[in-house]
Amino acid sequence: MAAPAATQSRTGNRKTFRRAKVSLLERGISLFLVVWLAVIGGAIWLKGKHYNPDRFALNPAALKSTAATVEGKTGTVRAADVAPGETGAAAKIQTAGQSEATGEPAEGAATAPAPAAKGAPLEIKLDGLKPMGDTEFYNADNLFEKIDGRAPAYLNFNFQQLRCRSFSVTGTSGSFVDVYEYRFDTPVNAFGMFALERDPKGESLAFAPDGYVSGMGFFFRQGPRYVQVLASDQNAKTLELAKAIAADRAKNLPADDTGLDARRRLPTDGMDPASVQFVQENAQGQVFLKNVFQAKYDFAGKKLPFFLMVATPAEAAAAWKSYQDFSGQFGGKVTALPDVGGAKIFKAQNFGTWKVIYQREGELGGVVDADDETPARAFVEKYLAGQMK
Amino acid sequence: MKTRTVRRISQVFFFCLFLFFVFVTDLRYLKGYPVSLFLELDPLVSFATAITTHTVYMGLLWSLLLIIPTLLFGRIFCNWICPYGILHHFIGWLMGKRRAEERERIESNRYKKLYSLKYVILIAMIVAALCHSLQIGWLDPICLFHRSMSVAILPMLNLFFPSSVYVHQYFHVGAWVVGFMLLFLVGMNVVIPRFFCRVLCPLGAFLGTLSTAALWRIDRDPHKCVDCDLCLKSCEGASDPQTQLRKSECFVCFNCIEDCPEDAISFKFMPQLQREITAPVVPGRRAFLGALLGLTFYAFGRASGATARNYNKKVIRPPGSVAEPEFLERCIKCDQCIRTCPTNVLQPALMESGLEGIWTPILNMKVGYCEVNCTLCGQVCPTGAIQRITIEEKTGLGPFVAEGPIRLGTAFFDHGRCLPWSMETPCVVCEEVCPVSPKAIYSREVTIIKRDGNPITLRRPYVDPALCIGCGICEHECPVTDEAAIRVTAVGETRSRDRRLLMDGGVTSAPRALESKQR
Amino acid sequence: MKSDPDAIKAGVSGDAAPGGISRREFFIRAGATGALLAGAAAGGYALWQPKHFIPGFVPEKGLQLPSFAIAPDKLLPSLAIAHGTEHEATVRAAIGALGGMSRFIRRGDVVMIKPNVAFDTPPALAATTHPETLRAVAKLVLEAGAARVYIADNPINSPTGCFLKSGLRQVADDLKVDLLYPDANGFAPLQLDGEVLRNWTFFHEPFKKATKVIGVAPCKDHNLCHASMTMKNWYGLLGGRRSQFHQYIHSIVSDFALMMKPTLVVLDGMNVLMKNGPTGGRLSDVKQMNTVVAGTDMVAVDSYGYTRLMERDLAELTYVHKAEARGLGSTHWQDMIYKEVQA
Repeated sequence: MAAPAATQSRTGNRKTFRRAKVSLLERGISLFLVVWLAVIGGAIWLKGKHYNPDRFALNPAALKSTAATVEGKTGTVRAADVAPGETGAAAKIQTAGQSEATGEPAEGAATAPAPAAKGAPLEIKLDGLKPMGDTEFYNADNLFEKIDGRAPAYLNFNFQQLRCRSFSVTGTSGSFVDVYEYRFDTPVNAFGMFALERDPKGESLAFAPDGYVSGMGFFFRQGPRYVQVLASDQNAKTLELAKAIAADRAKNLPADDTGLDARRRLPTDGMDPASVQFVQENAQGQVFLKNVFQAKYDFAGKKLPFFLMVATPAEAAAAWKSYQDFSGQFGGKVTALPDVGGAKIFKAQNFGTWKVIYQREGELGGVVDADDETPARAFVEKYLAGQMK
Repeated sequence: MKTRTVRRISQVFFFCLFLFFVFVTDLRYLKGYPVSLFLELDPLVSFATAITTHTVYMGLLWSLLLIIPTLLFGRIFCNWICPYGILHHFIGWLMGKRRAEERERIESNRYKKLYSLKYVILIAMIVAALCHSLQIGWLDPICLFHRSMSVAILPMLNLFFPSSVYVHQYFHVGAWVVGFMLLFLVGMNVVIPRFFCRVLCPLGAFLGTLSTAALWRIDRDPHKCVDCDLCLKSCEGASDPQTQLRKSECFVCFNCIEDCPEDAISFKFMPQLQREITAPVVPGRRAFLGALLGLTFYAFGRASGATARNYNKKVIRPPGSVAEPEFLERCIKCDQCIRTCPTNVLQPALMESGLEGIWTPILNMKVGYCEVNCTLCGQVCPTGAIQRITIEEKTGLGPFVAEGPIRLGTAFFDHGRCLPWSMETPCVVCEEVCPVSPKAIYSREVTIIKRDGNPITLRRPYVDPALCIGCGICEHECPVTDEAAIRVTAVGETRSRDRRLLMDGGVTSAPRALESKQR
Repeated sequence: MKSDPDAIKAGVSGDAAPGGISRREFFIRAGATGALLAGAAAGGYALWQPKHFIPGFVPEKGLQLPSFAIAPDKLLPSLAIAHGTEHEATVRAAIGALGGMSRFIRRGDVVMIKPNVAFDTPPALAATTHPETLRAVAKLVLEAGAARVYIADNPINSPTGCFLKSGLRQVADDLKVDLLYPDANGFAPLQLDGEVLRNWTFFHEPFKKATKVIGVAPCKDHNLCHASMTMKNWYGLLGGRRSQFHQYIHSIVSDFALMMKPTLVVLDGMNVLMKNGPTGGRLSDVKQMNTVVAGTDMVAVDSYGYTRLMERDLAELTYVHKAEARGLGSTHWQDMIYKEVQA
């Protein structure tokens, strides 16, 4: 602020005018306005305090909404033109970042496996064997990871758990033996799976009635387990050890033949052991034929399929009647035969083949699909008379 | 208390309030403060957006609170409330002519024909608005001041006083232009006092036009007046109170009342209009040229095609933005969104969206990324260029599950730059940081033989375009920092039907229904 | 600029009342200001948008097309196959076998004929509707007494080039019928309850006044959906980013059968684009089959075309089966009343 005297201003040394007359009205209005400013300031301060926290952070309650649309979605499902099976494949993409499955996984979605229930590790103490790696366990959910396309068949027979381990043969370079123990829910189901995979050319095993050796593998059923012992090569030592392992397993695994009565009853004379099969239900397309064992026999120069099923006497009787009625349809010829050994028998010819069916208490069985009725009938009567082992 | 004293208190109050709002526009402090209040009070913003969009968006109705006093008292806003005006007033007082140079001060406050330029500018802007192109943001004082603070001043402060404003230093493209523009305009107060307010301000022109109808006006009693011209000494508006008052220029600063030694000037209710030049004086030819400029700005700008098929892939707009032509009808380039963005990803565009899009916000993933659970930009946008969406709406949760999330664009891999794809090096940071679940980036394991003969198992990443929301954190975190191996571009954004990539989401949600049926 | 003493003195002496204004002036000025105030407040409030919207997710309402089909007739055939060497004669024979154009077109009808003009290729390459076929159909429509005929399509290549090079512009000029180019104003959103298509921009201009619609399609191979015939022909009425359709092409083509219920469809099998479609490009891609098929069921017509004219296995053509499954037509054209004639 320059001193008034220093400059040559046209107004001279006049002091700056200051207005002094301030009316009451002006004072009043001024005060009013200042109060208004304070009110505005206060209002803004109040407004600052009240806010919706959802403006700044995600309300976690919103996350629950994503159930139907988002959960289980692992990736793009593309065009509606793709068959459902293929969309499953398209969605089956492993993501590194994805941890456990969240809730119900979608069809075909690749999620981390639910950890299989563990059990005791597989220990085999034999000379010349050394465990190679840990015991692995697999259950129905992840069996396919171990055996790929064979898994569905196993699952059909109510597969429960696989316990497997590899053992290296000491003193060799790279020889090893894989041991697989598939546990099913019942011995019957274990047998069913075993029989399905059976190699017709396999040789029977001394230590396992339901067992055979084929190529580099030893296969048998013991109790509810289907055991496979597979050697890595055809070396004498490896095979010998594999056999020893199989025998060891047969000795140490619990035996259980529950439900396999029907299996036991199948006569062995002339039986082709490789042809023994177990059919859980709808055997021969008949709803009343369940848990059926069947095998093929050489008899009187013919190949005869023979089956039998074990149930309660009432069920067996009802099934026998149903079978008789069924055979009478479609132009079939049904003839009752005289009882043998306490069993009711009928024979029938349908569509050019013969069947001879008997029922004795809880057992129902017979020969089916025979070209000639004479050997069929002879076989059945011989069996019923107890003359077949 | 004198009125001028109240005016000074008011100036301090509103200027501090403005600075407070600017500073508090940060996630840490924002709470419920109405930080865009000045913009919402700005009558030119609501008037111009009402022309372009035929709506008054949410808080813009507040501008009635300023229109009403203007119609009653005149341009009180310019000297009592406008923070930019207050800044100029203050700088002018600080740097202007000394008190002793009374005569020079009086001469500098006489009305000049140059002061009609702001009306020409206003006409140009209104005509552009009639053509659905909003360009008031260039020179509207509140927009300009907010933009200068966000883009240039606050980063400058943070450079000199680290961590005073931001946690990490913020950078903005073209900050030097905005900064120097502010410096220039403020510096011009030395040449002409209140240069911006008198010569350029379109809001002042708008309020000046409205104040023609004001009921209270400065009135000079010719009986008492001795023609000393002292009333001009501190006249802010250069409204010629010493002769025929130009009401449209008067800032109602009350300085003339204070300075008149004869007590000849008063603020009167409905004084005689013969002693006034009531309406703004705008030469017809200049007005026409202004209109032409507004028209051609829109026409030539739009005909350059930046908003049509030839759209720039880098014009990625903030989440909740309206489609591009509508965006250019709403954005006032106030850059409030840029100020509040917590990752500094929002940058003022230069020519990416054409002439009309200068200083509008676009995302630059090299600098930042769009944080998923954040909608701050939409909260502070006063005009609805970015709608005030909620976090649930943005992420497609809660009641918006069927709609799905808002997508800003889509990420694309540049295989030649990607470490696992071309450089035999494991990485997949992009997959790690992808915030959606299931992730939009998935990887497939592959084993290759490296150059040195050893095998290496790598995960190679892919983008699922149906899931990608274009947030850009993948691009931001990619270790190839000069030009990332995965880059987000605008295609696939949900705000525009034309720029969708896949036929899903948004209105055509039938495929989503189809998909969910298949699942 | 000193003050103007004369003006001031004039102002002073002109006072009605010293220091005040007249009552009239008071009311005028107060009224004007009050009116401005009220206007600003009212205008602001009227335009006020208090709630935000989510851009890109605003549900849109579109128009719905009426059905242009005529009442089904139990006695007259719904499919006609005509064999002949000359375009016009064969078309006439096919339409004649259906009962004549007068079965479909009444006097005063406004008829929209939709050809396939997707590409700017010459007619010999069989990628577009043959001009002679269109000429024959248009002539028959005019003979039946139509008041107005529109020819329109929204091609993939540039519209002006397509109509010229395909020869269809000449047909329109010769017969003096209206050719409508797809300009921006001619489009409006269409609403549909389709499998994939729900709301899409549609070339509505020709349909504003139309009472009958006839589709005239070439019979050609298509690299994505196997064939483009009468069903795919309606693709040309849609606008916007049609390229997205290829993500769901079979669903969308079957949606066309829902979208459009035409009066009549004509499949031009005189020259069939057997491979490298839909654009073709060599004469060796084209085979002369000398057949024209006309019918009211586009699914049936396409089924005939795919099996008899293109000589392929109908099981491949997913979209006709989808359409049939949705009840939009029948692929078993042999089970319908049809007639096969020689031109």
